Amino acid sequence: MQSEILKLRKQLDENKTTGEELFKQVITKNDKEINAFVTILDKYMHRNSKTLIDNIPYALKDNISTRGILTTACSNILKDYVPVYDATVYKKLKEAGAVLVGKTSMDELAMGGTGITGNNGVVKNPWNKNRLIGGSSAGSAACVAMGIVPFSIGTDTGDSIRKPAAYGGVVGFKPTYGRVSRYGLFAFASSLDHVGCFTKYVADAAIVTDIIKGYDPHDMTSLENNDECYFDMLNNSVKGKKLFYFKDICDPKNYENDDELLEILIKFKETIKKIKELGIEIEEVEFSKELLLALYPTYMTISCAEATSNNSNLTGIQFGLSGEGTSIEEIMFDARTKGFSELIKRRFILGSYILQKENQEKLFKNAQRVRRLIVDKMNELFEKYDGLIMPSSGSIAPLFEDSNDKLSDKYLILENHLVIGNFGGFPSISIPSGIVNKMPISINITGRAKEDGLVLNLAYKIEQILKFERGE
Amino acid sequence: MRKVVIGLEVHCELKTLTKNFSSSKNEYTNIPNIHVTPVDLGLPGILPVVNIEAVKKALKVAMALNCTNPDEVLFDRKNYYYPDLPKGYQITQVTKPMGKNGYLKIIMPDYEKDILIHQLHLEEDTASLDHYSTYSLIDYNRAGIPLIEIVTEPCIATADEAVKFLETLRDVFIYCGVSEADSKKGQMRCDVNISLTDNDQLGTKVEMKNINSFSSVKEAIEYEIKRQNEALDKGKKIIQETRRFDAEELKTYSMREKVDAVDYKYFIEPNIPPVKLTKEFLSDIRKEIPKLQYERYHQYTSEYELSEYDANVLVKDKEIADYFEELIGYGIKPKEACSWVTTVILGSLNKLNTDLKGLFITSKMLSEVVKLTLDNKISVGNAKKILYRAMDERIDPLTIIENENLRQIDDENVLIKLVNESLDEHEDIVLQFKEGKDYVVNYFVGQIMKKTKGQASPTKTLEIIKKEIKKR
Amino acid sequence: MIEKEKLKKYANKLMFDMDDKEYATLQEEFDVILKQMDLISKIENIDKVEPMTFPFVKDTYLREDMITDADVLTVAEVLENTKQVAKDQVKVPKVVE
Repeated sequence: MQSEILKLRKQLDENKTTGEELFKQVITKNDKEINAFVTILDKYMHRNSKTLIDNIPYALKDNISTRGILTTACSNILKDYVPVYDATVYKKLKEAGAVLVGKTSMDELAMGGTGITGNNGVVKNPWNKNRLIGGSSAGSAACVAMGIVPFSIGTDTGDSIRKPAAYGGVVGFKPTYGRVSRYGLFAFASSLDHVGCFTKYVADAAIVTDIIKGYDPHDMTSLENNDECYFDMLNNSVKGKKLFYFKDICDPKNYENDDELLEILIKFKETIKKIKELGIEIEEVEFSKELLLALYPTYMTISCAEATSNNSNLTGIQFGLSGEGTSIEEIMFDARTKGFSELIKRRFILGSYILQKENQEKLFKNAQRVRRLIVDKMNELFEKYDGLIMPSSGSIAPLFEDSNDKLSDKYLILENHLVIGNFGGFPSISIPSGIVNKMPISINITGRAKEDGLVLNLAYKIEQILKFERGE
Repeated sequence: MRKVVIGLEVHCELKTLTKNFSSSKNEYTNIPNIHVTPVDLGLPGILPVVNIEAVKKALKVAMALNCTNPDEVLFDRKNYYYPDLPKGYQITQVTKPMGKNGYLKIIMPDYEKDILIHQLHLEEDTASLDHYSTYSLIDYNRAGIPLIEIVTEPCIATADEAVKFLETLRDVFIYCGVSEADSKKGQMRCDVNISLTDNDQLGTKVEMKNINSFSSVKEAIEYEIKRQNEALDKGKKIIQETRRFDAEELKTYSMREKVDAVDYKYFIEPNIPPVKLTKEFLSDIRKEIPKLQYERYHQYTSEYELSEYDANVLVKDKEIADYFEELIGYGIKPKEACSWVTTVILGSLNKLNTDLKGLFITSKMLSEVVKLTLDNKISVGNAKKILYRAMDERIDPLTIIENENLRQIDDENVLIKLVNESLDEHEDIVLQFKEGKDYVVNYFVGQIMKKTKGQASPTKTLEIIKKEIKKR
Repeated sequence: MIEKEKLKKYANKLMFDMDDKEYATLQEEFDVILKQMDLISKIENIDKVEPMTFPFVKDTYLREDMITDADVLTVAEVLENTKQVAKDQVKVPKVVE
């Protein structure tokens, strides 16, 4: 079985290495130029356990609360913030014996998709340092792509795990909404936020998810426990399973003058062919263009609105960057003016505008209505199909000079369809599928809510036939 | 004469073990910041978890106020910035409040009136701010304590009605056991909206915020009626504004004009998925609602034929009314029960400055003592003495009676023997009887009482004396 | 195009400010995003759909009313990230009501 965790497990069990040695190697192997970390821990901390990940090093995104360890969400307003409590996901990993090596760089407050908006600088793509790796979980993707940790934890509100995983040539899994507790995850958009993981192989994602999943009395949206072990489900037969893809947006005929995109789509079709050899049926499906075009504005509307409210606690009064001034209002005003970057402020203003009484019906509620239409349509398709399979992105990781985070008119459904997984809380995984222009490309599989095991099972089987060549 | 229209918004803290959305203690204390969890501080990453007891208590009051209940528990966010609001939003209810469209009957000296309840919702209290000369201090103990807000329709016509409503409402809180409703501890607070009009349309609304005592509510309303009348008489316009009541000067002062209404940008709290309210859950709560004051008053005056005065005294405090009804349950007639409760019990409560629990005498104990008097086993005078002693020494009154043989002596043989002894001792007085002075029998009653320390049954003794003296 | 003054008012209500250049960017961005959002409003019968807040329906439980000491912070923890402290509380300039 291809698994980075199991490989290390064997070395540890045979006393060929130790947890502390693995921990130290991470630091020496880390390419600082990539800028994957906000904080690298200098002390090896380990709690004995009998799980598969005992003594395995890993990294956490810097928006996950870690008691006594700086957690900034890469925003100036939290640049000195040291949490006094542990996020549930961190607690579970600690109890499972995993060894935290550091906190990873991200887009500021997770509100971006490039990995260039955080306050500690841009995160570079280990495959090519002139390219970005994408965000917001940029550092978490990069440290697995560098091969220095077998897994890392990220968060995903629109595609923030799955997109950087695709650009970085690694596996990125966002489980069902509520499968992993959000307690301790700095909220961006509560109804869309997910905790998930980056790994080298699908089996590793199953191992990690088995550890971090579970009902949490601190999170009312968390799902009830069941007896499923995703790792055990990996080898289930996938014969007769049915997948679909959106016909129009995967059709090369609809795109001209973009060689890279055409190559990605041609490779996607080849991949489809290979997958069919597994006995999996794949059909193309027409999906309302109107709804697909609405994906991005719907996401922007809901996420900005929730984000404005969620980040209202950042006033620098009880914690965070302290503002100056003679009145309490001046202090709060100063802290927030200095503490947020321009991009964040623009998102907050947009979110606040959307929530205003006079706009709420037309903007916020209509976006929530589209969300339902899309999710209902997906659930309808999931009655016939076991999952949606799509290219994770219509491009390879962009060059830094081509990227910008301003909202623009020009966008592609292919760049935004991953958000469907957040709208419906569907389990969704991106796995590397090939190389285009010396950069990795990726496919995504999204399944029925709560059927994380099946999605991992499909991904595992598909991974085996794709034989993705990593640039090692 | 202008018509006065008053609407009230009443806040009441609920008595629960823990806060509304966190498991820290709901307790009033002078030691700052000891009942605080990350949730109460609104730290990054926290999530609210709804307290079932707060939900039950809010629903209970809503039912007692004849409101309709929602089909599910759902919360909304109210967004605004203030230093006592750590999250930058308050979790409250707009979409589906715990109660809608109810009423509460108040009994005025000459009439009864239904005060219409617009809605009742469950929310959370803010942190408390203590103000000093140049600075303020924030204590988070109060942050997150469950609070219900009751909003009446603008249907109150006088200050007296407003006060009577508040008193009746407080009794409902106490009767239902949901709060101590102690305004001195800030557990019950009131906002008053008042407008004057000489036609069918509502006048300009003036708001007075956070009035703590019922007497202040009365004074504030009376002052406002006078002020607004005088202004209107002079042809001045009433400004829509918020005014502060000064309880020392008995005047209201303008705080701020309502230039444009604050937009709280309410939206559904995405971290609290709806919880269905089953019929069973609701009916279990309904079963726990005690008979309310108004209902009891009617029962006491009509069915039990008590005077209005006595009925009022009994229903004023639920504990007393319960105690009274328990006596009836033990077979004591209402009038008898009323007389014992209003004299011995209420008298002792006043004198000892305690509550029923501190009084030691349970309704069961009292009922047994009362029964002994009804069976002429003990005199009323002695019964009272025994009860006072029992309270004092904290001993069951029956034990006192048994131990000290204090039951009334009504055994004929015993009494005949005692009477004859006495007749023998006072032959001169017997002689007087024979001379026709009938009244001397009373002398012998006195003698027997002396011999028995008051335990002899007075009626029986008299009967025997009359019989025995004639034999001489 | 939405006026800059209006945007400044929104920003100030959110307790921050931006510079002129940043407002100009935001003005452009508003144009783009509002146009995109118009797409949503044009979807047929959109007004007849129930808005969706939660990704799916699930069983949810209310919390039993019990104190969890493990969650309670010490006073030192409460104030650990606070810059101005007095009498075990957070100190701020006098709040005028």
